[in-house]
Amino acid sequence: MSVKVELKIWRYDSSTGERALKPYEVDISDEMTLLDTLDIVKDRVDGTLAYRKSCRMMICGSCGMRVDGAAVLACKVRMTDIVKDGRVPVVSAMGNLPVVKDLVVDMDPFWHKMRQIEPYLEPRLDRATEGENIVPQERMDAIHKESLCINCGCCVSECNSMESDPDFLGPAALAKGFRFVGDVRDNAKIERLERYSEEHGLWDCTRCYFCNERCPKGVDPRDAIAKLGAEAMKVGIDRDMGAKHAKWFVTSAKTTGWLRETELVPKTQGVVKAIKEIKFAMSLLPKGKVPPPFPPHVAADVGESRALFDLVKTQGRDGAAGIVQGEKALLHLQHEGESLIDGPSHPYDDPRSFVKPYLPDDEPVAAD
Amino acid sequence: MKQVAYYKGCLASLSAKELDTSTRALAPKLDYELLELDSVTCCGAGDIHEAEPDYYLHLNARILSYAAATGADTLMTVCNVCTLNLRQANHQLLNDAALRERVNDNLERVGAPRYETDVDCVHFLWLVAGESFHKLQDVAHKGLRGLKIAPFYGCQILRPSKLLGFEDPDRPDSLERIIGACGGEAIDYPAKIKCCGFPIIQAREDTALAELIQPIEQAKEAGADAIVTPCPLCHLSLDAWQSKLKKQTGKDFQMPILHLSQLIGVAAGLTDSELRFRRHVVSMDPVLEKLAL
Repeated sequence: MSVKVELKIWRYDSSTGERALKPYEVDISDEMTLLDTLDIVKDRVDGTLAYRKSCRMMICGSCGMRVDGAAVLACKVRMTDIVKDGRVPVVSAMGNLPVVKDLVVDMDPFWHKMRQIEPYLEPRLDRATEGENIVPQERMDAIHKESLCINCGCCVSECNSMESDPDFLGPAALAKGFRFVGDVRDNAKIERLERYSEEHGLWDCTRCYFCNERCPKGVDPRDAIAKLGAEAMKVGIDRDMGAKHAKWFVTSAKTTGWLRETELVPKTQGVVKAIKEIKFAMSLLPKGKVPPPFPPHVAADVGESRALFDLVKTQGRDGAAGIVQGEKALLHLQHEGESLIDGPSHPYDDPRSFVKPYLPDDEPVAAD
Repeated sequence: MKQVAYYKGCLASLSAKELDTSTRALAPKLDYELLELDSVTCCGAGDIHEAEPDYYLHLNARILSYAAATGADTLMTVCNVCTLNLRQANHQLLNDAALRERVNDNLERVGAPRYETDVDCVHFLWLVAGESFHKLQDVAHKGLRGLKIAPFYGCQILRPSKLLGFEDPDRPDSLERIIGACGGEAIDYPAKIKCCGFPIIQAREDTALAELIQPIEQAKEAGADAIVTPCPLCHLSLDAWQSKLKKQTGKDFQMPILHLSQLIGVAAGLTDSELRFRRHVVSMDPVLEKLAL
């Protein structure tokens, strides 16, 4: 069925600096994606429109762009969904990356960060081993989600920390980093964790969860960053203030049960830096924002919390292994970010999912 | 009166006691009886999830089990971070029987109740904007006299939506609806769904402040009298760290910041000792003057 759709596109030319929001109206058929629609705009309305594309099927990661400020793969979103209720979507280039022309961004900063995390296996073997070394499936499952990344940059586009610190390695590179840290065949784990824990590394993450929300492939980069943090702390790489901050929460939970808020500053920043903050702290004191550490605020039955810590420590789920990641990552291939909590157990049961492919054993579906 | 288990979390117990007192005072007006949880601990705030993930899961399972032990089917939170931590753990436990069995065995071994009867963890905002919304206009009888309020959601009540899912994470409207029902005017601005920087405010202060300034500056430019937030961590950074923004940028915003329970509380006529505005760093006086309180 043919439908008329309206959209607006932020046009930009870096050579002239000209920028304009231009309206378009085209006829499309109702199953078309945003990418198909852009193809029609380019073919029939304005041949100068620039955007990237290649596979048209969520594999190549070329067509990342923003719709109403949210990064998407243009080949994944159906046009009739984004114009429903009469909305006229505004299409623009991804964020946190320089715009070259219209919807095309310069991916160099993205690739630079990818290179920084050394995205290749470092087996570091002196000589070839004899015979085959089979990697058990469960060890590959541990890095399955991170392996799904297609380098589209949708997570980077909306990363709040990177917006404030452009040198932050960011969600895509760090998720790729875990893909190697968690790979049983890699023998550079410690060096990697040291490097990823540096100034603009994993402790820069502000946990805004935009990356998990935007990723079109279910990688959940924020969870990958948490896994890196857990692995780093497991091997004692905990000098960064972010790591010390996290450790104090653990200490608090097993001693008083509740966060020991006032001691968090010196425990994170060190005594010297904390002393410099005294003037700031004094300004908050009269407002009760610096609760006195004595007498401590202790939860009833806190012994249970302490015993739990000791008990789980003996069960071999330290580090990233303790993060339950819901290995069925493909279930996260969802549309419009709708909840799966009460959702179906099988991806094809969801009315928003792809059409289930016909298999020989299935009953043929009657045509309408 | 509906009974809900009440998890106040660390901040409402300590530096944000005004959140606790205003929530307690407001709850019965909205027909909720809050059931106290004495034995629970910190949810780990994303920090224990990162440092000791298996311990994080057990701590949150223990909170859920004590909530279930009250007999209520709902665990109410007043903090975004607690909400995500508890819902994430609950999601994992409810969808993995083997995991739940292992965690329950561990809980039992340390003397805590097993988490057998499911509870749903919901934020106070969701109760007010959802099942209790129809009561709001009556409760907020004093109104906000057209006060211009900028809603600030914070991150972990919107994202990841597959764990939270109360509303569209990109176009939420629960706070706007509440502001409207209380007689205020909701101000719109782009940073209302972005991060306040609090999780890294100690470890990466410059990055955090560059995040923090966005909502405050935008709300100011849009003419807001105050910002309201459902999260005490956002409240702490927006309120207490404004002086740092002044030091760093020279801009003195003096933007009053309200907890959600205080916003509704003012409109519902709660007393000074319940609202406790004196505990705020940025003075609430300009707002109270406009309301002629």
